[in-house]
Amino acid sequence: MNLNPLPSTISRNGGCTLTGALAVTTSVRDSITIIHGPDGCSHHNFSLLHATLLDNDCMTVPRVMSSGLGEHEVIFGGEKALLNAIHRAAEEQPGIIFVLSTCITDTIGDDVAGICGHAGVPVSLIPGSGFLGGNFETGFSNALMALSDTIRTSTGPPLPGSREKNGLVNLIGEKNLEYEVEQNFAEIKRLLSLLDMRVHVRFVHKSSVNELGTLPDGSLNIIREPSLTHVGDYLQKLFGIPYVNSFPVGMTGTLLFIGETAKKAGISEEEPVQKERESQQQMLDEFSDLAGKRVSLPLLPGSPGYREICEVMDAAGLMVETGGIDLPVPIPFPVGTAGISRMLHGWRRVLS
Amino acid sequence: MKQIALYGKGGIGKSTTSANLSAALAEKGLDILQIGCDPKRDSTRMLMQGRFIPTVMDFVRTGGETEIHLEDIMFTGYRGVRCVEAGGPEPGVGCAGRGIIATFQILERLGALKGDIIVYDVLGDVVCGGFAMPMREGYAQEVYLVTSGELMSLYAANNICKAIKRLSVRAKNQCRLAGVICNAKNMEREEELVREFSKRINSRLIRFIPRDRIVQLSELHKKTVIEYAPESPQAEVYRCLADDVSSNERFTIPTPIEIDELESLAFDHI
Repeated sequence: MNLNPLPSTISRNGGCTLTGALAVTTSVRDSITIIHGPDGCSHHNFSLLHATLLDNDCMTVPRVMSSGLGEHEVIFGGEKALLNAIHRAAEEQPGIIFVLSTCITDTIGDDVAGICGHAGVPVSLIPGSGFLGGNFETGFSNALMALSDTIRTSTGPPLPGSREKNGLVNLIGEKNLEYEVEQNFAEIKRLLSLLDMRVHVRFVHKSSVNELGTLPDGSLNIIREPSLTHVGDYLQKLFGIPYVNSFPVGMTGTLLFIGETAKKAGISEEEPVQKERESQQQMLDEFSDLAGKRVSLPLLPGSPGYREICEVMDAAGLMVETGGIDLPVPIPFPVGTAGISRMLHGWRRVLS
Repeated sequence: MKQIALYGKGGIGKSTTSANLSAALAEKGLDILQIGCDPKRDSTRMLMQGRFIPTVMDFVRTGGETEIHLEDIMFTGYRGVRCVEAGGPEPGVGCAGRGIIATFQILERLGALKGDIIVYDVLGDVVCGGFAMPMREGYAQEVYLVTSGELMSLYAANNICKAIKRLSVRAKNQCRLAGVICNAKNMEREEELVREFSKRINSRLIRFIPRDRIVQLSELHKKTVIEYAPESPQAEVYRCLADDVSSNERFTIPTPIEIDELESLAFDHI
């Protein structure tokens, strides 16, 4: 998340598992998410999501509900409360109901999976208890995995034989709470257009259940970042779709991304890579005024993004010196050439 | 006011011992409250002529705890012993431990925790924090371990020692081990073994209760031995236990032993 990078290891990725899962489920437009736990779990997460979405100029109110567990349910079991919540949600006729288990329901051992049957609409269970060692990322990944299963259940197994290379690309695991989610999307779209490919399903970003159901029609998946590689593997297993395991990061990284995507799609990479190399040079030319400025390296060797930052500094002719001006580093590292351009704009503001 | 708790392996005879102890204490003219802290809810049955009394959790389940009155959950049994059962969820759902905690809060609120002696009869295995509740917050300050000479029973008793020891380091905790009650299974050298075990865990054998058919007979008649066969030698043993308990002032922090030591101890007493 790059809203407010903190000078420490604290990040939203280490937060509540529910928040991670909700970052996915609340982006399914016609869904309702039930948090099977005390009201506070819902309230806290709702507020956080709502505030973040507003910050990203998104006025949608997340559709989140609580099964409202109290001490009574903790002692006697919360299964009935969950059933009631599912029935209430089903009355709204959503395309899908997500049920998130919480720390307390996994502690008392509610048979949540046993209850999440079909309620007129598909009900998808997402494990959400963070005390089992999970965090934001786990919840995010759990949601994508559960949703993959739901799609598989509704579409059935893929037809045998190799998939047609149709140029349709699914984006897997976009960071919906990230400030730059749409800009990153636009950059991917631009890079894919160099290959005559286009985005098919955004899994998941403001998607409907029906749209998500067409995911198996795509012939390539692009995963947001390597921490979700297992989701890529899983989708490959379920639907036979190959994947590229990260959005492009860094200048060389972006060229490699084009190369890999081309290879996976069975297209020649030479021309599009050359085109992008030229665009990158053009971009750097726009920042020629930065050359020779004294800066200090904002990252430690070995930290994520270090290599890519050095590459950009080097290409822009910045001089790394002790006592140089500290540069802001966006976290996570910006996507593609456009992301680097945005970063350089930021640096220019600091340096001029 | 004395507050004592009986802990021990399931089926070892905690409830039988508790009920007879309460009956014998009541005979001495003391005001006794016995609280069954086990979802099985059968702790006080023999004091209530075989009746399963409604439990605190029954009321919470059906009525909502705001409406609870003392008379809904506290029943007077043999010789005025006041009986309470915590109860709990159906087997296999929810959290029985939290049920015990909630029960204590309700009893506290209703002002039920008073009398000369409160006897807490607790589930055999202290499987979670809830079942350690009677040992916490200053409720039971004197814990008695009920065990036979069987290895698994000693093992359970030893585990409870671990819980007491752990709690005892907390500044405000007053829970101590008050002694070991041997509810005999008629094994060879059983008394000797349990006496030695008690010594090893830094405690002592308070009373050896021999196995006697009269206990089963009394239970079949839905009474305590004290009530059904007041003249029997067994009733006398329970009366002695009541004397032991009411006059006991030797409380220790236990020193649980390792499983190897426990096993070799059992070996030595074959």
